[in-house]
Amino acid sequence: MRRLLPLFSFLFFLTFLLVWYLDARQPDPVELIPTLTGQPEYCITCHADLPEISPSHPVKTFGCVSCHGGERLALDADLAHSTMRGGANPSDLTVVEESCGGSNCHSGSEANDRHHIQRVMTSIQSTYAGAIANIRYTFGAQPDLNARFGIYTVTDEETKTGIKSLSAFDPASEENSFIQQFGANCLTCHINAAPREGEAYARQTGCAACHSPTSLSSSEEKQHSLTTAIPYAQCNTCHNRGNYDLRTMTFVERTDQPTNRLQDYYQPIAQFTKCEYTLDCVDCHTRNEAMGNGDLHANKKDIQYIQCKTCHGTLDELPLTKTLTDPNDIAFKLDFLNPIMDLKLGDTIIITEQGEPIWNARQLSDGTFEIVGKATREHFNFRPVMGTACEQNPNEQESRYCHECHAVEK
Amino acid sequence: MRPSFFHHLHPPTIPAAQARWRHTLGAGGTAVFLMLVIGVTGILEMFYYAPNPQEAALSVQTIAYHVPFGWLIRNLHYWSAQALIVVSAIHFLRVIFTAAYGSPRRFNYLLGLALFVLSLMLDFTGYILRWDVDIYYPLLTGTNLIKTIPLVGDFLFRIAVGGDSLETALLRFYTWHIFGLTILIVILGFWHAFRVRRDGGIAVPPPTLRVHTERISRNELVRREVLAMLIVSIILILLSIFFPAPIAPAMSVREAVRESVPESVYAPWFFLWVQQMLKWGDPLTFGVLIPLGILTFLAIIPYIFPKPADADIGNWFPKSNRAAQVIVGLIGLFILILTLVNK
Repeated sequence: MRRLLPLFSFLFFLTFLLVWYLDARQPDPVELIPTLTGQPEYCITCHADLPEISPSHPVKTFGCVSCHGGERLALDADLAHSTMRGGANPSDLTVVEESCGGSNCHSGSEANDRHHIQRVMTSIQSTYAGAIANIRYTFGAQPDLNARFGIYTVTDEETKTGIKSLSAFDPASEENSFIQQFGANCLTCHINAAPREGEAYARQTGCAACHSPTSLSSSEEKQHSLTTAIPYAQCNTCHNRGNYDLRTMTFVERTDQPTNRLQDYYQPIAQFTKCEYTLDCVDCHTRNEAMGNGDLHANKKDIQYIQCKTCHGTLDELPLTKTLTDPNDIAFKLDFLNPIMDLKLGDTIIITEQGEPIWNARQLSDGTFEIVGKATREHFNFRPVMGTACEQNPNEQESRYCHECHAVEK
Repeated sequence: MRPSFFHHLHPPTIPAAQARWRHTLGAGGTAVFLMLVIGVTGILEMFYYAPNPQEAALSVQTIAYHVPFGWLIRNLHYWSAQALIVVSAIHFLRVIFTAAYGSPRRFNYLLGLALFVLSLMLDFTGYILRWDVDIYYPLLTGTNLIKTIPLVGDFLFRIAVGGDSLETALLRFYTWHIFGLTILIVILGFWHAFRVRRDGGIAVPPPTLRVHTERISRNELVRREVLAMLIVSIILILLSIFFPAPIAPAMSVREAVRESVPESVYAPWFFLWVQQMLKWGDPLTFGVLIPLGILTFLAIIPYIFPKPADADIGNWFPKSNRAAQVIVGLIGLFILILTLVNK
């Protein structure tokens, strides 16, 4: 007893030293009070090295939690990350409404052009309705090519296509074994699917599938970035990767080793013009085409409408244009997000038949046009077809007719 | 050195044989010390804890991560509370196995059981105060079990919860936790300690039947208690450092309600045995009547079993109350097995 008391007093004192030491080793909490929420967050205590995600989502305004969820006060990784939406990707379609939604953000009204989430949820790249309908029709599970199923259940009350809703496709309840195999092997290329194994397929899900390009970074690193300057390589994580064999219901990967952009882009059976392999996909394909226009569609043919003549016109018609007179025009917003054109009031840009702006194509004073690559910033000049020696039939505007003269043989 | 206030709280001498560690295990005294730690750390937490559903879990996170050494205070509070249940149970078993409950100690035995029940209720109400996603089903189950009691169930539910639904439960549980139950446990605790002295101190055979007659002074006793407190403190601090108290995201009653109960929902550890029994059938029988029945049986042990022989008092596993030892041992084993099976 005489020795035990001083010994244990000393040990007791040592435990306090241990407490003090361990407490001092903890990192100092770094507080961030985003102006949008006014609530302190401590994420950047550990994540200070993360780059800003985009100029339109500054962390000083949004913070981290308003998009990602998570426990804003926690300094312990397990607790802090426990309520994060969608893991590391809050734009996954299962949680996108809570993360990116809201009337002031990306699920607002069509009038304000803020209904992106509703558009994406009904788009053919998300629902995969065309592929599903085609396979079911081919193997006799449905009598026509009308879309009945999508990857998930989705409704569109105000549809202009007549398709009011899609049910969730359930391969297990299909009778035909080919359709079941289709369900097992062929559903990896819609926006919310986890991609196939392999660096060539690496992408995220949801909005990030396109807007957070992973293809230009190392395959393990997920980019913390949101951009509208989407390079072709990002589209290539799903498109142009190979072919499906309907007899064996397997995906046959392309076997060539692409070494340049011409070969990266397309497979060695196609014919394409120079702008098709020089520009990026987003330079021509419009927002309605890629993200959907808010209506459910049965086939991508219904939504894809861009043609060579949209920019080049025909022998009889000049391309449609619009002079920008309204400072709130969407073209200025798009230019702000990706400032390659420095659009001004009074500039004339090309618009599509549906009124969508090809905002990176501007008419010059001599009637010709310039176009700047959204991802590459490469600058090109081109003339309208009218007045040239072009031999096209104005009634035959499919790309194969232009290819007959203008394709570059690979 | 003149004896201090603390020395004078103790009798001048106590029998040396019964003052050995391996005799009483120091469990009762440790329980008192744990209650002191709980009280002090609890009061400190009150400076930051917000007893309303919107802020409760966030205030717990503030204590754990942003208040200087708040993590230590919170973890100490948690571990000393869980240790209190374990140590009290050991103390109770010691009393049974050393036949220390016989007259004149029968009423004090009842006080001790009441203290144990109050400790469990304090542990449960404190657990609910976290108001995070893990507490919803235990809260729902516990309060629904009260409702199953015929005649008085709804009335008792409203006393426990402060209204007809669980929205008001947090504030009511807070009041029970920091005041209602606390004041009861303090009063009964002092009474229990007083009765120990009044009933003749540590259970020991009467002087004529005593084998060992050495005694130790109050100074020596206090020294041993200080040593025990130091050891317990070291253990509590080490537990607090290496095993943080559970913490989880905030819960809202509206969002917590699900169509079906998720798979891995657990009662707090000290009620796992009840959760296991509830799988066997009717909630009133298995969740209320059987536990109350066990408690009642334990309470009347000193009254229905023959009084232990005087020579046996204070000795471990004496012959004269073998029946009580076996039955209590079996009950303890039953509860322990049910607890472990559930995990």
